[in-house]
Amino acid sequence: MRPILLSGHERSLNQIKFNRDGDLLFSVAKDKIVCAWWSANGERLGTYNGHQGAIWTVDVSPNTVLLATGSADNTVRLWNVKTGECLKVWDFPTAVKRVEFAPDGSKLLAVTEKRMGFLGTIVVFDIKYGEEPREQMVDQVEEPNLRITCTESKATVAGWSYLGKYIIAGHEDGSISQYDAKTGDQLENVQAHEFDHQINDLNFSADRTYFITASKDKSAKLMSSRNLAIMKTYVADTPLNTAVITPKKDYVILGGGQAAMDVTTTSARQGKFEARFYHKIFEDEIGRVRGHFGPLNTIHIHPNGTAYASGGEDGYVRVHHFDKSYFDFLYEVEREQLKK
Amino acid sequence: MSRLGNRADWADDEEFDDPSALPAQQVTTNKDGTKTVVSYRFNDDGKKVKVTRRIKTTVVREHVNPQVAERRGWSKFGLEKGHAAGPSFDTTSVGENIIFRPSVNWKAQAKEEEKGGEKGGMKDQLKDKKVKCRICSGEHFTARCPFKDTMAPVEETVGAGIDGGEDGPSAGALGGGTASYVPPHLRKGAGAAGEKMGGKYEKDDLATLRVTNVSELAEEQEIRDLFERFGRVTRVFLARDRETQRAKGFAFISFADRSDAARACEKMDGFGYRHLILRVEFAKRST
Repeated sequence: MRPILLSGHERSLNQIKFNRDGDLLFSVAKDKIVCAWWSANGERLGTYNGHQGAIWTVDVSPNTVLLATGSADNTVRLWNVKTGECLKVWDFPTAVKRVEFAPDGSKLLAVTEKRMGFLGTIVVFDIKYGEEPREQMVDQVEEPNLRITCTESKATVAGWSYLGKYIIAGHEDGSISQYDAKTGDQLENVQAHEFDHQINDLNFSADRTYFITASKDKSAKLMSSRNLAIMKTYVADTPLNTAVITPKKDYVILGGGQAAMDVTTTSARQGKFEARFYHKIFEDEIGRVRGHFGPLNTIHIHPNGTAYASGGEDGYVRVHHFDKSYFDFLYEVEREQLKK
Repeated sequence: MSRLGNRADWADDEEFDDPSALPAQQVTTNKDGTKTVVSYRFNDDGKKVKVTRRIKTTVVREHVNPQVAERRGWSKFGLEKGHAAGPSFDTTSVGENIIFRPSVNWKAQAKEEEKGGEKGGMKDQLKDKKVKCRICSGEHFTARCPFKDTMAPVEETVGAGIDGGEDGPSAGALGGGTASYVPPHLRKGAGAAGEKMGGKYEKDDLATLRVTNVSELAEEQEIRDLFERFGRVTRVFLARDRETQRAKGFAFISFADRSDAARACEKMDGFGYRHLILRVEFAKRST
């Protein structure tokens, strides 16, 4: 496969996201712009300008009408995907590390940083979708309808479970917790990863009944949304920044590498800057894709499972459209099962 | 424009009286759904060329999500505002091809690739190679072939004659024991003769005569006739100039038998041929 290199950012990538149809790809980096790309050919559709600091996170609504971004300038911004104009700015006391739309797009959660005496919080906004004219889209709520405060350990990542029933959050201390999305009560808390090893990424399966976590403790775990049971563990030899579950094939893709601050002392080969493919069920590593010059900060998969994109500390986004060999690969037992 | 200018009279229509006019393109539809298009054109030499093309038309129908199709029509905004459609070179490029083939024992394979390198590969390649005689294709070395003296090798390979016995299982000395390069003439079994142009013939150097002072107009057949009187001649080589194809003035004649060669050498030395006196001697090995 020939990757498409997207070099629209000047600094390291923080998050990339495909929209639900997979035709658009959104990327945010430590520079202040958000880029939208056509995933098929890597053409840049446009940029969303307005943030004043590094952008940590991006998410697009399921109908690809609204785009939300969270930034180190202490704001969450809502954008019109089509025109690139900023529709709404929510201000916070601290940086925003994660935003995510609920599966039906009616809510947006944002994870705020713990800093300067403020505790880390998870806030939820109701989102309204007026069709054009613009005035209706601009009309959004001012205050969150739910605020979860993380008193023990700040949340680093969070997302919605199936049907938007729970909010699942990953914490700085390596634990995963489950909140009721309506009341904000904490239902479960599981020390899934080693203590004090931050959860760097959390991505759901297509139906959101289970998710994968990537942690600094060099492992990724597949967990159930319902009861936070650990179903699978994928062990890597490097701290992990990101992990995704691939639809269509039973794989997971992990990305990581030497921490950014140590990069200059290692060569690209030793740095382990490769996307690692593991079999989701057998937990075996089945291959790697190299190409980045720095650690992989973020990976996202096309919703049809035909392509994946990775963003690295090197400032590049690489979009890979899978070859036939990717789809053909089967374990012996899988093949036998198919014959029956 | 020039066509119009050339035409003096509107009445003499080029289409009719110009013999160089090209026949019209013909399109025929075949039974299997393909089309045959016959067209004519002039090539660079001004000759008429008939071009026949068979064209198969396949209609690929693709279903696109209407929302995706609608989005395709969006105009660019932000930093891209006003830019033409299509990826621009400063933001989008294509990386080099990555071969990604998932496999169960990926780790073991990756290690092998790193370690094994060329050596392992060569060994693997030769592992199931069998000894094959170049003369009779039997499973023995060429040197041991029972038909060695009676048959010529199946296919002539330059320089293969001499070290024929040794290559095969150990791959000569290509990579056998040591990794360092061994020039061909120093390889095991290469003998002093080395491998030179002429290959397999060099082995009967003992029965080869060198004839010099041969006329420029000499023909190989004439020389063969001259020497065939003394015995069976296996080969005649008359050196020719590459460009003019004229003889260069020397030739080699190989006999099947050395005694025949000796006799020929004795008799033909000083023989007058085409106004020139031949000088015949046993060919020396060039070292």
